[in-house]
Formats: sequence, structure tokens, C-alpha cells
Amino acid sequence: MGLVDRFDLPQPAKFLLNWGRKYSLWVMNFGLACCAIELIAASTSRHDFIRLGVIPVAHGPRQADLLVVAGTLTDKMAPALKRVYEQMPEPKYVISFGSCSNCGGPFWDSYSVTKGVDQIVPVDVYVPGCPPRPEALLEGILMLQDMIGKESLKERFERRDATEPKAQPIVVGGGPIFQTQIEDE
Amino acid sequence: MTPEELAKHLNETGLFERDEVAHGELSMWASRDGWVAGAEHLKECGRCRFDFFTFISAVDLEDEGFEVVCHLYSVRRQHHINYKTLLPRTEPRLRTLKGLWLGADWGERETHELFGIDFDGHGDLRKLLLPDEFEGFPLRKDFLLMSREIKEWPGLKEPEEVK
Repeated sequence: MGLVDRFDLPQPAKFLLNWGRKYSLWVMNFGLACCAIELIAASTSRHDFIRLGVIPVAHGPRQADLLVVAGTLTDKMAPALKRVYEQMPEPKYVISFGSCSNCGGPFWDSYSVTKGVDQIVPVDVYVPGCPPRPEALLEGILMLQDMIGKESLKERFERRDATEPKAQPIVVGGGPIFQTQIEDE
Repeated sequence: MTPEELAKHLNETGLFERDEVAHGELSMWASRDGWVAGAEHLKECGRCRFDFFTFISAVDLEDEGFEVVCHLYSVRRQHHINYKTLLPRTEPRLRTLKGLWLGADWGERETHELFGIDFDGHGDLRKLLLPDEFEGFPLRKDFLLMSREIKEWPGLKEPEEVK
């Protein structure tokens, strides 16, 4: 990509670059169900995430920095989500908004619902709720911006190239993430 | 026409097996062989004029078989009917209604993939909602939900259990 992914920049330069990135998050709205309505509410004048520098309605995934998956992802839709994610340029971030996209939600036993978008794309911030209030999304965005402000792009790209798991994801409101582990016999 | 008048008229034709009026709505059952003939009457007869095909689906009655339910509405006469038939579980096949109402096309495709009911003469029973590689008929009662196999349903199952 350039210098930023190979060398750790001096702190002032890193601060400035991260500061520029975190207040200009073009968001790709991947609204799939009722959570999308809350996401739209968060973008309009009452809750207004534009004041946080989140710009709604990117022209397409290739112009977006942030993917918000809001709603029930089905197995049939999952390849489309993967495709959208892969089209986005690095560095890119994913917010999983609502119970359905976190873990399947009320459709935990369904035959057609993907039980968590983290099976398809890596997730940075989980926003729990059914649906979560727009304020929960605002908090998730603030936490994400905090993370972007502190991160080193060099480490980020190293992790990506090594296909290691991401840093510990953030859960709005706190709480643990139970990762399913398949034990070998 | 009121549901009672409609039931009286339809019973006179001899095309239907049984009728029932519940919650202000009329249900008529046809035999499997008389399915298309009954539908033809419902569409063409001047007193019925069911010109709008709302939707088609099925109910899994386990041992009794599958009950195919077809909701029809008449925009001209402003009345509604549930047109039903009972299919044996061992051989769930029926003639298509695609020739009468084009709206039956996708509804029958959906019923085919979710319940495994074959519609003879449809000719295009590709999957509509499920992924192409999906196996099984998920709305049948004997379809296994993998999540339920691992974890039992945590709530109550029957309305009688609520006290």
C-alpha cells in the first residue's frame, strides 16, 4: 500500500493520519431487516451520526470504509455480503448491528439464517439489541473511532496478511464474546 | 356474496367435497383430481369470479397428509375463499393452477421447495427462496433443525402448558 503499512510512523504523524481517518468514515449500509430502520434513524436529523463524521450512503462498497450489517443475514444472502466486504478497500471496519447479525437472534434455530455475520466477515464492533436503539449505534461508532485513533496501520496490515484473527472485538455495553471452539478428539 | 350464500352455490355444483365457515371466511375442499375443475369453476363462474390469486401454501398435518391452501379473492364481487385439498403424505402431487392464474407460478415453486409438493404441468419448479444446494423440505414437521438437535427449545411448546 505504501509506507504506513511497512513502517511504524512517528506518533504525531500516526495521530494525525488516524485522526483524519476516524472522522471520515463512509458507511456502506447493509440493511437487511428492521434493524436497518434504526440505522437509518441514526443517520437522520434526530440522532445524526454525521456529526461524528460518519457519512451515510457511500456510492458503493469501493468508496466505503465502514460496513454496517443491520438485520437478518440468510445463507442465500451471505455470498453477497462477502462480495461487498471484499470489494471495500483497506483499511475497512465492520459493525454488526442487532441480535440477528450478531448471532442469529430470534432465528437461532432457523434453517435459513446465518448464525452470526462473524462467520462470513470479521467484525470489529458488536451492537446488541433487538433492535438496538440508534444511541447504541452511536456508542458503537464512538468506540470504533477510539479504536481507530489508537491503532497502528502497520500492525493491522501485518495481522491481515498473516490471516490472524483481529484484535479483541468491541461489544457495546460490555459483556463477553463466546467463541465456539471445536475440540479435537 | 356472504360466505353462507357462496357455500350454498358451490355445493350445488358438486365439484367440492366439503365446506366450512369459520371466522367469517369460507373454506372449500376439493379432491385431488377435481382440483383444477373446481378452480376453473371458481374463476369462470359469473357468481364466483375469483379473479385474484392471493397466495398458495400448505399445512403439514403429519399423519393426515398435506393440506394445500389457496387463497382466492374476487375484486369484482369483493369476496374471498380458502380453496383447499388434502394430499396423502406418500404421494404429494397436484395439478398446477398456473394456466388459470399466472400468480400461481411462484407460489407453487415456493410450496414445492418448502413442502416438497410436486405440481404436475408446472414445468419450472426451480428453487425460489432457498439456496440452490439446500437439501430437504424445511417446513415439513419431520425436517430436522440442527440447532434444535444441539439445544432443545427453551420455552413452552403447546398452548396447554401455559397456566
